[in-house]
Amino acid sequence: MALRNQISKEEFLSVFQTLPLNALAEKEWKNKTDKNFEILDFPNKKDESWRHTSINRLLQHRYGLGKSMPLDKKTVDSFTIPGMDAYRLVFINGYFNAAFSNEIDNDNKLIIKNIAQVKKEKPDLFNQFYENTSIASENFFTNLNTAYATNGNYISIPKGMVLDKPIHIINFSDGQDSKTISQYRNIIIAGENSQVKIVNSFHSLTVNFTLTNVATEIIVNENAHLNFNIFQGEGDDAFQINHTKVLQHRNSYFSSHTITLCGAIVRNDLQVKHIGEGCETKLNGLYLPSREQHFDNHTYVHHAKPHGTSNQVYKGIIDNKASAVFLGRVMVDRGAQKTQASQTNRNVLLTPYAKINSKPQLEIYTDDVACSHGSTTGQIDKEALFYLQSRGIDRRHAELLLLTAFLADVIENIEVEPLKLFVNLLISRRLQGEKDNSLCSMDEVCHGCDPVD
Amino acid sequence: MSKTLLKIENLKASIEGKEILKGINLEIKEGEVHAIMGPNGSGKSTLASVLAGRELFEVTDGKIQFLGKELLGMPPEERSREGLFLAFQYPVEIPGVSIVNFMKAAVSQHREHKGLKPLTAGEFLKMMQEKKELVEMEAKLNNRAVNEGFSGGEKKKNEVFQMAMLEPKLSILDETDSGLDIDALRIVASGVNKLKNSENSFLVITHYQRLLDYIVPDVVHVLYNGKIVKTGGKELALELEEKGYDWIKKEND
Repeated sequence: MALRNQISKEEFLSVFQTLPLNALAEKEWKNKTDKNFEILDFPNKKDESWRHTSINRLLQHRYGLGKSMPLDKKTVDSFTIPGMDAYRLVFINGYFNAAFSNEIDNDNKLIIKNIAQVKKEKPDLFNQFYENTSIASENFFTNLNTAYATNGNYISIPKGMVLDKPIHIINFSDGQDSKTISQYRNIIIAGENSQVKIVNSFHSLTVNFTLTNVATEIIVNENAHLNFNIFQGEGDDAFQINHTKVLQHRNSYFSSHTITLCGAIVRNDLQVKHIGEGCETKLNGLYLPSREQHFDNHTYVHHAKPHGTSNQVYKGIIDNKASAVFLGRVMVDRGAQKTQASQTNRNVLLTPYAKINSKPQLEIYTDDVACSHGSTTGQIDKEALFYLQSRGIDRRHAELLLLTAFLADVIENIEVEPLKLFVNLLISRRLQGEKDNSLCSMDEVCHGCDPVD
Repeated sequence: MSKTLLKIENLKASIEGKEILKGINLEIKEGEVHAIMGPNGSGKSTLASVLAGRELFEVTDGKIQFLGKELLGMPPEERSREGLFLAFQYPVEIPGVSIVNFMKAAVSQHREHKGLKPLTAGEFLKMMQEKKELVEMEAKLNNRAVNEGFSGGEKKKNEVFQMAMLEPKLSILDETDSGLDIDALRIVASGVNKLKNSENSFLVITHYQRLLDYIVPDVVHVLYNGKIVKTGGKELALELEEKGYDWIKKEND
């Protein structure tokens, strides 16, 4: 039942009728997604995987389509990661910004390019990989993305190439005067024996109601190494739905860091499937919701082949009246002998109002496996705090030492060095508290918060 | 005449409504070593906790003056910077915080409080090295997390090491000897003796007279049922060792 003031599915979808015909999906796809929409509804609490995340707040608004807007150098520079030399692709409100991007299209070999252009120039290549992970039918939002995404990234690393520097995808949202929706579709293919690191960051430029809906398909071919980082710093009124599906071929390595520092409601789905033997997967997460923010991480590692390993470490510090969700599902198929899977979720609640729902879910259909999981939630250790204070360290500083220590291993594991240093800096600044009454401590990654009100 | 460091008057403290300290009076002057002995549950550790500022206990009456300043009401970090040090009975393990970072934070806040310039990295490490030698602490402990996985002896050495780093005016040793073998006890006691001078004082809380062979007290107090019931010289400790606490209990029950 819809709440009063809540927009209906039909109303929500109607805005897309005005979308110009340069969206990614072709007519035949439109037919499929339209059919899916007949069945798929907004996720609601009856849906097990959305039980602890309500999108009602998001549906209080009628969204329009985002507009492309010019960016200036100062703004873009202020959101780059200090010291990180990278291939950069910049988008705003769902549209590509050529002026601040350096695309590469090397004779169909190395491609780092906006996906709309790839579709136009190389439809065969596009069609070969689009919807390869069958992401569309996952849920309402991925279907919406397949039907109406305006742009995104196509990244293909050729066989044997070790990319010399990371790729940095920057997605800005700027609602300006209207409530806008931005949709990105990414296809990332790491060729056999190739190696690449990617950072995908999200930032708000203004305080506004925005919805960013991302669907990313990643294919890691045999023996390839891919490191993927999602770095989220959108504003207090910005909603984000981010869905990533990864297929790993034989002996491949996939690692991720999902770092969520800001946003109104952020939902991350990260699904990895081993479709070849001997794959290694590392999923890491850091989330620091504050005020009334709500961050939700759902992971799913599907071990379908033998000798795979997966290791998940998600840690969160939850402040004020904020809340977070971690649901980590691990599935080990009958044929996936010698699988090793571990999962850890640890949380610190800073106030009596902060909330976490943490749930590990292991489904094991074979006997020769080693799987472990653990989840802990607590407050700052009062004994440790007193010990530090009794040596002359003031309370704030002592808390900072303890919380920094709590997150240290996850930060240490970040594989892109400049990102690691930057995250370390931002988090220690965040834990030290707001700079003053008018500025959010996260203003370096987000211009979309207004902590005063 | 030497200065009074600590003056406790009629101190009463309770936990969850239960009174543990029932009117303590104690005065410690510069350069003195006081020992507090007493049976289990007499309030020895509570007294140490109240002095260090642990919130768990509620002070219901009395006054504590430390170098002429009111101690009660000062947060624990302030007490430390003013020169009070508690060597914990059970030092706390702090995963992820290295001893170096811990001491760097503590020393810099102490120096700031005293209006001193911060130490350079080189000066700080040199100081760490000197103080560690005092308690024969291994250099490799530097980058280990505070007390994590330390043996009982290592934890207590670490307490004395921190004491050496912070150079307190009054050090409270809360059962620092409990659980130590004789070698560790000697090292810990000799560390304390090296730190002792005519301007600082020690309050040694212990069950066992043994420690007092190494750290020789000027005054021995017996704490029983929340009150100091007997005060004497170092021979009082020997008497207690010989006769146990039963005669104290009999005299006071």
